Amino acid sequence: MEKRETMWESYRRRGLSRRTFIKGCVALTSLMGLSSGMVSKVVEAAETKQLPVVIWIHGHECTGCDESFIRSAAPLASDLILNNVALEYDHLLSAGSGEPFEEHLEKTIQAYNGKYILAVEGAVATKGSGIYCMSGGHPFLETLQRAAKGAAAIIAYGTCAVSGGIQSAAPNPTGSAGIGHFIGAKDVVNVPGCPPIPEVMTGVVMHVALFGKLPPLDSQGRPKQFYGNRIHDTCYRRPFFDAGLFADSYDDAGSKAGWCLYKLGCRGPETYNSCGNIRWFQGMSYPVQSGAPCIGCANANFWNQGPFSDRLPKYGPLGDIDKIGAGLAVATTAGVAAHGVLSVYQRSRRDAEAAESDEVKGGEDK
Amino acid sequence: MKKVQREIFYVFSPFLRVFHWIMVASIIILFVTGLLITKPAGILATEPTATSMSVDLIRNIHFTVAYIFLAAFILKVYGFIINKGDRLFPHFWRGYFYAQTVDVALHYMFLRNEHASYLRNPLARSSYVLLYVLVAIEFFTGFAMYLMTEPDAFSTQLFAWVNVVLGGEMITHYVHHYVAWFIILFAIGHIYMVIRAEFMEGESEVSSMFAGTKILAHHPLDEDDVDPDELDNADRLKRWTNVGEGISKIRNVGGN
Repeated sequence: MEKRETMWESYRRRGLSRRTFIKGCVALTSLMGLSSGMVSKVVEAAETKQLPVVIWIHGHECTGCDESFIRSAAPLASDLILNNVALEYDHLLSAGSGEPFEEHLEKTIQAYNGKYILAVEGAVATKGSGIYCMSGGHPFLETLQRAAKGAAAIIAYGTCAVSGGIQSAAPNPTGSAGIGHFIGAKDVVNVPGCPPIPEVMTGVVMHVALFGKLPPLDSQGRPKQFYGNRIHDTCYRRPFFDAGLFADSYDDAGSKAGWCLYKLGCRGPETYNSCGNIRWFQGMSYPVQSGAPCIGCANANFWNQGPFSDRLPKYGPLGDIDKIGAGLAVATTAGVAAHGVLSVYQRSRRDAEAAESDEVKGGEDK
Repeated sequence: MKKVQREIFYVFSPFLRVFHWIMVASIIILFVTGLLITKPAGILATEPTATSMSVDLIRNIHFTVAYIFLAAFILKVYGFIINKGDRLFPHFWRGYFYAQTVDVALHYMFLRNEHASYLRNPLARSSYVLLYVLVAIEFFTGFAMYLMTEPDAFSTQLFAWVNVVLGGEMITHYVHHYVAWFIILFAIGHIYMVIRAEFMEGESEVSSMFAGTKILAHHPLDEDDVDPDELDNADRLKRWTNVGEGISKIRNVGGN
């Protein structure tokens, strides 16, 4: 394989100025969620590191993550895949197709063994030996394992790849699951979301590409810089929550005034994502801002936690738990009251019996 | 009136008693504020500047009381260390414990006229263990939710596993909420049972949580579970406790 360019070399080849290059690096630094002090490190990496090879495979999913990815604006997704990484294989974005395309995948895996970044979208369909998700004549599980074996790092894009996605909702007929159990002891970055935020997708792949290592991860393998906060704690509607101002339905005055959507089932208090910070599509909006409660799409198992329009106490398999609890409390109170009455009766009978036996005894004494 | 001889047992240290009443207040406040956090009451005022109901304030009350409850537990621990009567465990490891439990349960089911006398009967002992398990669940799930505002903090690492074990923070929320209701159900049963024991069986369940002593007409089977040294204390108590008609406070009921 030919020598690969660094990012700086690619800029020069296209006649772009040093100034443009530095500006690009500054933009990259911020979109990776790093502090401005890291700019020099980013520049250094962009000058010296060859563009990393990326293999991007798709499993059991809707490709909505790609739809999100191509809308990344800073940097442009096109910029990223054409200039910042060497994207060798991608079901959706590659120009090639058919047998030569599949052959190219094998060649890439062999040529860059141990060096390439593997980006995975979609769940693994496990039932029926994986026949529910095949591409190029192979079950996805097989392709995943082959590609994962030689990967330097693996990025799981979307809630499907992280924890199974909507197709794994009960009763899960295809046995779909996240990729975590099928890739052995490989480093993996989980980037959940249905889909993830565009800039988060590009930010994570750029971090791995530039620094050659994974970004700092939390206990669930998610990059801390993007999944370190609850939506609820970063929400611009939070002051309404604190003040007790809630929309009670989707069309009431509170809803029109932009009050908190907590009572409409917002999952913000349980969901970790950057929606509240960087928002979507160049900061244009995010679900809560558009008046739709968060459904917690970055949470494992969010698909089984419906209906999305309910929270506790109404939410849950048993129904309104406060009504059930109050009912049980009343029943318990009635129960102990009845027990009390019976106890009084029992005692009076016991005392009567005792008095009787005393009398009998007394009679004997005489 | 029939003369009944009673004897005094010093059971609960002041530390346990103070803790108990802090726990009572805490549980009531935590339960009410908890329900209001889950389902904030509707507000009457529609002007944001005139809100009558601050969820922020209610949450802060909930968190503050939770910390007070937790801090008060140190009293329970101290009493546990210094006083034998604060350690009335269920003796699961003793064979007779089960026979006694059956005896008490049969009485409560009206299948026996009475059960043997105890300082704390085996069924009650088990039920308090259950209460502490429920409180522990609230403690762990509560902090797992509360601290996750700072997922990186050290204190969070002590509790974050709860969310993983339960399968997501959403589940943590509803375990916390469901268990709160179980504690209320426990409280109803508990209040009934202690009142019943106090006024129907003369077991001074209610008064002992104020005074620390039990004045019993029957010799309790689990007498060895309290510290005999504390009996001096009880003797002192005898002097200033008014002896009611027909009740003489005698340490030894032997020969009766």
